Order: sequence, then structure tokens, then C-alpha cells
Amino acid sequence: MPPPVRRKALVLVLALGAALALTAVAYAGNGGFAPATPHSPNAKRINDSYLWISIFTGAIFVLVESALIWFIIKYRRRGRPRTAEGPQIHGSTRLELIWTAGPVLILAVIAAFIFYKLPGIQDVPSAKAEGGPLVVKVDAHQFYWQFTYSDGQISIDELHAPVNRTVRVDITSQDVDHSWWVPELGGKFDAIPGHTTHTWFKADRAGTYQGKCGEFCGVFHAAMKAVVEVESQGEYAAWLDTAANELGRGEWEGSCAKCHGLQGQGGFGPTVSNNALLTQGQSLEQLIRQGRNEMPPVASGWSDEQVQALLAYLKQSVYKGVTNGS
Amino acid sequence: MAARATVEPYRPDWRQGRVMSWITTTDHKRIGILYIWTSLVFFAAGGILALLMRAQLAQANEHFITKQSYNELFTIHGTTMIFLVVVPIFAGFANFLVPLMIGARDVAFPRLNALSYWFFLFGGIVLYLSFFAKYGASRSGWYGYPPLSDDMFSLGRGQDLWILSLHLLSLGSLLGAINFLATIHNMRAPGMSWMRIPLFVWSIEIYAALLVLVLPVLSVGLTLLLLDRQAGTHFFEPNGGGNAILYQHFFWFFGHPEVYVMVLPAMGIISEVIPVFSRKPIFGYKAIAFSTVAIGFYSMLVWAHHMFSVGMPNFLNVFFMLSSMVIAVPTGVKIFNWIATTWRGNLIFDTAMLWALGFIAVFTIGGLSGIFLAAFPVDWQVTDTYYVVAHMHYVLFGGSVFGIFAGLYYWWPKIFGRMLDERLGKAHFWLVFLGFNLTFFPQHMLGLLGMPRRIYTYQEHGLWEAYNLISSIGSGVMAIGLLVFVVNVVQTSRKGARAVNDPWLADTLEWYTTSPPPPHNFDRLPYITSARPIRDLRRRIAEARV
Repeated sequence: MPPPVRRKALVLVLALGAALALTAVAYAGNGGFAPATPHSPNAKRINDSYLWISIFTGAIFVLVESALIWFIIKYRRRGRPRTAEGPQIHGSTRLELIWTAGPVLILAVIAAFIFYKLPGIQDVPSAKAEGGPLVVKVDAHQFYWQFTYSDGQISIDELHAPVNRTVRVDITSQDVDHSWWVPELGGKFDAIPGHTTHTWFKADRAGTYQGKCGEFCGVFHAAMKAVVEVESQGEYAAWLDTAANELGRGEWEGSCAKCHGLQGQGGFGPTVSNNALLTQGQSLEQLIRQGRNEMPPVASGWSDEQVQALLAYLKQSVYKGVTNGS
Repeated sequence: MAARATVEPYRPDWRQGRVMSWITTTDHKRIGILYIWTSLVFFAAGGILALLMRAQLAQANEHFITKQSYNELFTIHGTTMIFLVVVPIFAGFANFLVPLMIGARDVAFPRLNALSYWFFLFGGIVLYLSFFAKYGASRSGWYGYPPLSDDMFSLGRGQDLWILSLHLLSLGSLLGAINFLATIHNMRAPGMSWMRIPLFVWSIEIYAALLVLVLPVLSVGLTLLLLDRQAGTHFFEPNGGGNAILYQHFFWFFGHPEVYVMVLPAMGIISEVIPVFSRKPIFGYKAIAFSTVAIGFYSMLVWAHHMFSVGMPNFLNVFFMLSSMVIAVPTGVKIFNWIATTWRGNLIFDTAMLWALGFIAVFTIGGLSGIFLAAFPVDWQVTDTYYVVAHMHYVLFGGSVFGIFAGLYYWWPKIFGRMLDERLGKAHFWLVFLGFNLTFFPQHMLGLLGMPRRIYTYQEHGLWEAYNLISSIGSGVMAIGLLVFVVNVVQTSRKGARAVNDPWLADTLEWYTTSPPPPHNFDRLPYITSARPIRDLRRRIAEARV
């Protein structure tokens, strides 16, 4: 057996080396060794917490696995008979105390760091200099996201936000449970009917961020994606002015076309481009508000303007007239 | 002890046929074998479902399976592995071993025991027949959250049959658990005090206690869900004044202790195997026994860590983070004690020992990734992604299933009277060990890259596709490893070496009787003076010879 001091030193070096390696990889961010490269202060602080936990868990991992492998090699059988027993040691109170108290201390250090970071992750900044946070309401539906802005504009599957501006997101659902998640802008918050959850972001860079549904919500869960378009204040204001023109198309693409195809040619759902129901406002409204069989109530909670926008778009761009014999 | 009845009870002719004797049996050993075989068949079924999913996800934009079928696959895979494999196979081990380990003739209520097995079998059959229902089997995930599992969003009878199946399985588990508690508390051999029962029996004590405490809560949640679907009530429907989150509390108050129900007996098996193949006593018997009790207790205080993203008040998030972290402490105590047991031992790497050491190596990873999930701001990023899929498979495959195989290789000679082949056993272990890590380690990375769980396909190429492909290849390697086990069982069932009473020179009472044991288990019993009665006996015989 080597002197205990040398062994301790070796274990220590191994642990530190692993912690350093982990740190380097975690800072590299991508490759799947840490959450997505953050572009909002809350996401940044979550990544810091992840890194902090990695240091300790990495060290424990190296310690446990190297002790295990060490003993496996060192105390292997080497041709001894099965009757050859090791020393009959039944335990050690001191060791039990050490490996109870040690983990408690480590966990306390981890928890303390989480508490230190928590307010910066969880609390929506008052953003007084910017005149308070912008507020966007997120309504999750099977299988699309609907965003309502403070002046009543609505967009589907595409959230627009100005860069370097605090945005508060109020999340709820109109049907089943979903979960709002844009990895680069922070964690997941469930959309649950009858409840509202809150999160926020302040994107530090203009660009497009991918969002997805975290909670399994049914057959098109995989298709329930969103993009967050972060743009300059001017572009954002200009977009708000024209948002109403795009509503019908957004509704068609987000809430109808995922099942019925972009041209209404059918897919998971039946062909609709030649269905006269598209021109019968009242019956169609009843169908989309209440659903039928496998079709979810995609328009639950819609305003009359939203229904009208969809009807207008259907007449103009989707309906191809009834084809006989098909 | 000599007064114990060794005469078999009278059995009419019609109960003595090859099939009828198994159908009508109330012998704990035969029921244990029924449990183990049935669970292994369901393990194969659930494994095939998993292989289909990995085939679908091997590449981006695949259309091997439809999205509806995919959703059925992961729902039934999860339900199978939890309710039809891990929980019942431990009931099988417990049935066979607990009476033998404590020196009893049978369990306390043998007929109730038979009933619990048949509930289990019929529950499993109902679940698999639900594939033939209109609209197919349940497809709302193994935890079946409403509103998705309500009648409006889950059409057809698949969800109702899922509820029926879980009711049957819960009832079976509950009866079995009551039986184990009664047996352990009342039927221990003379001298076997609580500090002398084998650690596996300790783990079954807590397994059973947890089932008795939490299964009724699951039954309540499922019954309310069934009423919502069938009787027009609104317990979980917000439009009628109900609350969808209430179901999540019902489910996870059961669901988290259930995780420990599935892991504690595996830990019990590890605590039996490691000392025998290290030729040493277990390090810290009391520490391991009490940490089992502590884990059982804390497991009922951590359930809402599955719900950090539903928007609970901050103090609840904090409470559940701290309680979840606390549970890492007794778990760590076990791991440190097992490693200390190997210290200065005479380590014999028979297959059972390989599985036990493999358990320590991979379960540690599952435990450490759990700390990330307990820290709720980090959980907000990784929950509901493949990170969680990786974590739970490191705990439930790397933990429970590795433990199950350690137990199978260790007790196979006692149960069936034949030794399994060591060479095939080692090939089995190394293939599964490699395949397991290939399958599940890259899933940590997939989760961090942003892949949500339960998506039937993805469009991303590059790293997403690379990790997914590695994972699918790993699942194939694992499948080959499991086939090696099947070959091993088939080959040795005819040609395997006959097992002697105590092939491993073990410590506990089940090795005192023949392999396989006679219906009445023991002709006589030694007075129990320690937790290792068979080693005591060996020593006394050796001393007498000198």
C-alpha cells in the first residue's frame, strides 16, 4: 500500500483536474455539456448555478468512481480461495459521521449559491428606467402559441420583442398542459388551464430564438414550436403597427395547417381546401371553438376579430372551391 | 423447531397437474417464481417498445412509426417498466426470499399472496389488450396528466383501460405489501432480532411500508380521473371549477416514493451481494439499515420536485429543493459503506458481483444528476428534456435493473437448483454495461441541447442527430446483451451444473436449506446469534473439526 498521504494527494489532484475539465467544457457551453448559451440575465444565472453544481458533483463523481476502481484493482482475488476472508471490520462510527456531515456541508454550499442567485432569476425586474416591463400574454393551445401584446395585437407562434428590454411573460393554457420554453432566454414554465405562471427575459442580442413546448400535450407535441424575434425598438414598433394584417395567415399556419397541410391538402387531418364549410362562417366558428372528435377546440378563447381574420384568410387564400367527385 | 410440520397438506388430484399445480399454488416460492417469470416477460415486451422508439429517433425526420403510435409506445413502455417489471419482480424476490431469509415456513397469508399475483397478471394483460381498443392504448404518458387524459382530449377506451389496469396492479401490490409486513414482523426465526435480519429484508420492509402508505393516494387520483372521464365530474377540469394541478399532487405523492420502492430493494440486493463476494461483513450494517428507513421517510416529503415548473409559491419550491437534497445524504451513506465493504476484501468477480459493482458505478451518476434537478432554477432548464430521461434511466435501469440482475445471478442457484453459466453471464454484463452507457449518457447532452422528451421526431441535424444515433446504437448493444441472458437461461436449464446448498459461501439463512428448497423450507433452524448465521455455522463446524 502506498503511504496514505500520497494517495490522498493523488485523489485530490484527480478531483481538481476533473473539476477544471468540467469547468472548461461547461464554459464552452455548446456540445451539450451545459444549458444553451444564455442571452438573458435569468438564463445566465441559471447557467452559473449549473456550473457551480457541476464543480461539486464532478469532484464527488471522480472521488467515488476512482475509489471504486482503485479497490477493485487492489483487492482483486489474485487466485486466493473463496474461503480466504478479508479482515472482519464491521464499520466505523467516525467514518459514518464524516460521510454524513461532508455531503451535508456540500449540499449547504450548493443551496446557498442557489439562494444567492434566485432573486435574479425569479423576480421580474421593475425596469423603472425603461418605464416598466413590457407584458405579453401567452395562451398555449393544442398545438400552437398565441401571443397577446399590451395594445391588443395578436401573433401566432412568433413572439416579437425589442432588444435590451425587460419583457414579462404571463403564461396560461386554453386546453391541456403545455410548457413555455426558450432555452436561451430562461427556463420552462408550465401553461396550465385555470392558472397563470410568470417568467421574464431581457434579450441582450437581436436575433431569432427557438422556443418549444416542454410538457407533452398530445399528438402534435413535437410540432408545437415558437420563435422569439428580438429586434430593435424601431423594427418592433413598426411590426406592432402591421401585426393585424398578418393575423389570419398566422392563425391558419399555426392552428390549422399543422394538421390540414399548408395548402389545406390534408395530412393528419382531412383535406379542407375543397370543403364548403370554410365559407360557412357560423358552422365553422362552432367547429373551431368546440372541436369535434380528434379535432381540438383550436379557437377556444378567441375574440370575434380573431375568428373573422381567419375566415377572411380562408376565403381569400385557402378555399379552392368544391371539386365534384373527389 | 423439530416440531415444525414437514407433512405436505392434502391436495386433491385435480390440483396436482403440471399446470394446475401452478395455478392453484399458495407456496411462496412458486408464487415468487411466477412473479419473476411474468415480470421478465413484461420486461421483454417493454424493452421491445423501447427499441421501436430508439429506431424511430435514430435519425432526424424519420417516419418509421406514426406519431400516435409513438405516444402509445412511451406511455405503455413507462407503465410497463414501472408497474409490470420492477415493482413486481421485487415482489417476486421478496416472496421467494423473505420467508427463507427469516427462517419462516411461508408468508403470513399464503392465499392472499396468490391473489396478489393474479391481480398483477390480469392488470398486465388488461394493459396490453388496451392496444386493441378504439383509438389504441393510453397515449398521455405514464403519469397521465389531465386535461390531456380527460375524455375530451383522450378519446376511446385506452385511457380507461389504463386506469383499470393500474387499479388492479395497485390492489395486487397493496395485498402483497401487507403480507410482507405481517411476515417480517411476526415470523422471524428464534434469535433473529431487528438488527440481525438481512439487509435485503430491511429493504423489503420499507418497500412494503411505502407501498401501503402511498398506493391508496394513487388510487384516489385515478378514481377521480375515471369519474371525470365517465361520470361527468370536474375534479381536474378547470372549466367546471376543478384543478388540473391537484392531480399532479396526487400522482407524485405516490410517484416519488414509488421511485424508492423500485430502488431500495435493489440496494438491499447489493447489500447482500457485495459482502459475500468481498469475503467480509457489510461495512456499517446499522448505517445501511437506518439509511433505508431515512430514505423511505424523506421520500414522502419530496414529491413536488416533479412540479417545479407549474408555478408553485416560492417557499414550496425552496422546501422541496431542500428536502430533495437531504435525501442524497442517506443515499451517499449507502454508497460509501458499500465501497468500504470492498476495502481490504478478497474480491471475487463472479457475475453477481459485477452487476453489484456496476450498480455502484452507474447509480452514482444517476444520484449526482439528481442534484441538478433538485436545484429548482436549474430544473427549469432541464426538466421535461432528455436530461430527465437520462437521469431516471440511470436510476431505474442502472439502479433497479442492475440490482435485479445481481439478484438473479446470485439467487438463481437457490431458486432453480442450477448454476447460470459464468462466461455467458460476464458477456451479458459487459454488453449491457456498455450498451446502457452508450444509450443513456448522450441523452444528458441531448437534454442540455434542448431536446424535449416525448417528441416523436426532430428536424435538427449535427450533434442532435449524432447523440441520438449513438443512443440508438447503444440500445441495440443492450438488446444483444439481454439476448445473451436468454441464451444463458435456456442452456443452463438443461445442462447447467447442479447447485449445492451454498455455492457462494454466503451469510444468510436461505443458503441453509437445499437448492431449490423443499416445500416446507427448513427441517430445522439454528438459533440466530448474528446477522450472518450461515457464516457462524461454518465457523463452528471448522472449530469442531480442529
